[in-house]
Amino acid sequence: MTGPALELRDVEVVYERRGRERVRAVAGASLTVERGQIVGLVGESGCGKSSLARAAVGLVRPAAGSVLFEGREVTPLTRRARPRELARLQMVFQNPYSSLNPRRRVGSQLADALDALELAPRCGRRARVEELLGLVGLPAAAAARYPHQFSGGQRQRIAVARALAAEPSVLVLDEPLASLDASAQAQLANLLVDLSRRLSLSLLLISHDLAIVRHVADVVSVMYLGVMVERGPTQPLWSIPLHPYTEALIGAVPRPDGRGALPAALPGEVPDPARPPAACRFHPRCPYAFERCSRDDPVLLEVAPGRSAACWLQTGEEPPAPPAVQARRLSLVRAEE
Amino acid sequence: MSALLEVDGLRVKLPTPTGFVTVVDGVDYQVEHAQVFGVAGESGSGKTISMLALLGLLPSGSVVEGRASFGGKDLLRLRNRELRAVAGREIGMVFQDPMTSLHPMLSIGRQLTDHVRRHLGLDREAAARRAEQLLEQVRIPDPASALRAYPHQFSGGMRQRIAIAIALACGPRLLIADEPTTALDVTVQAGILRLLDELRRERELSVILITHDLAVMSSIADRVSIFYAGRVVESGPRSEVLQHPRHPYTRALLDALPHPEAARDTPLIAIKGTPPTPQQVPSGCPYHPRCLFAVDVCATVDPPLAPVNGRRLACHVDPFR
Repeated sequence: MTGPALELRDVEVVYERRGRERVRAVAGASLTVERGQIVGLVGESGCGKSSLARAAVGLVRPAAGSVLFEGREVTPLTRRARPRELARLQMVFQNPYSSLNPRRRVGSQLADALDALELAPRCGRRARVEELLGLVGLPAAAAARYPHQFSGGQRQRIAVARALAAEPSVLVLDEPLASLDASAQAQLANLLVDLSRRLSLSLLLISHDLAIVRHVADVVSVMYLGVMVERGPTQPLWSIPLHPYTEALIGAVPRPDGRGALPAALPGEVPDPARPPAACRFHPRCPYAFERCSRDDPVLLEVAPGRSAACWLQTGEEPPAPPAVQARRLSLVRAEE
Repeated sequence: MSALLEVDGLRVKLPTPTGFVTVVDGVDYQVEHAQVFGVAGESGSGKTISMLALLGLLPSGSVVEGRASFGGKDLLRLRNRELRAVAGREIGMVFQDPMTSLHPMLSIGRQLTDHVRRHLGLDREAAARRAEQLLEQVRIPDPASALRAYPHQFSGGMRQRIAIAIALACGPRLLIADEPTTALDVTVQAGILRLLDELRRERELSVILITHDLAVMSSIADRVSIFYAGRVVESGPRSEVLQHPRHPYTRALLDALPHPEAARDTPLIAIKGTPPTPQQVPSGCPYHPRCLFAVDVCATVDPPLAPVNGRRLACHVDPFR
């Protein structure tokens, strides 16, 4: 098979609301996850990243655009059984307290996942459950215990093990690290990278925390108010962000260096997605906005090899530079004209 | 000048069906005037319980020992009524999740005015004016209409600002903020940290900031204490403790964090094992089963928190001296 593992093209997710205007939570966003690749999707709450994730696995029906899993259209979940192939596209949710059944033993929850897909004969089930627990670093004895007997980090690993039961090729993880302590977060982050490399598993990791995504993802997509504003390989994106929003996300990360420097705050709030600002959706909060930004909507363009940004500052004519440098260059050009 | 709050030998035992469990086991600290005191540690290290104990908010039947002197009074010896009069006016508290700490069915105005009318004895109009000022102070746009709105109409960050306004309503001298930014986006977190910093400078407010995130603590705290299994294992000025951690646990917490300046391929180093539950605190140094530097004595003798140049440290080995 060729082609990407998961591909979202111009996906729109629209929620209808009785008596009020509809909300376009995702307003035409594209995303590609290559085979074995870890893609980070970052943005603030309300930017549509969870809606996009739900569209990616067929939990919501996109209003427009297409979702392809290994080249095949992902059909939204209905009462009927899912096509067998789609079981290899799995999702892990943010809160392991609510995604696991509190009244059933961990082992039987994992066995259910195997039974549903008839992936293990009855006699081999137990061994497979133990193997799954081993994959996420838990002892075989964990099978006989209940979810409340585990810490938050361990519970999230159980949720990952359950998703792995389906022998997936793509895992979509919605804020899997958000509710964890630093050490548990590090453990799970390392585990995800390790699983991806060992099982050649593709991951779409959704998070609001760019600092942790940087340690995990190969490429990062940045989303703001329903649209993609930047995409690029993790390391260059972190050292030279091209979109002012990416720059703001990086600046807001507090640094554990003991120096007492306050993180930079991004002014304003994420606007109501039902009434997004005209033209560039970020312009009311952007420190570099100029008149074109409130007139025309920038599209996501490749401005350097592998790097795309949707920003009028990035013309693609010079080598990529951070927004402040680009803004200075452009104001010089305008002054000359 | 003496400290605003001085806690000495605080010990908390909570009743459980199987007997008392020691959750906080001899904790000392001082909170200075107009300073931010950071308390860090993993979930279950006793950070929150040690604060609730000061405010008399523990389940009934709990046993609290030690001393907590606040403005000349020992909070742990006050009767309920007196404690409410002191704590309600002079100590404000902000919790992690503003969605659960705000009342969903009452308007913001009602939640702000009830509080000031009770403690400051203001009439309806004066209380409403005060509420508006408070919302301005925490930078809520259009305070007058915000007073008529309900919690669900605000974003997470705005709700946390409102919760801070309520905590500030009676003009407290101390604000206890328990994981105030954990549920928020980093961009919103930055705004709340800046707000706390302004309040400290402009209103000379003292803040106890409880967090599991050393990066958050690093950006705002003046002094810090690292909690483990109900004890303090290291404490001192922020720059000392976070730039040159001496306790293996402090060091391990820092190594687990994504560091913005580190090379990408630097793996995050997770601490092996999980923190002990209060029912099963290991003998000796409670951290020894997870510690990379433990020697024999660590398993038998609990190291005291002793002063070592400019900080206090509870470690037999002191490997980073």
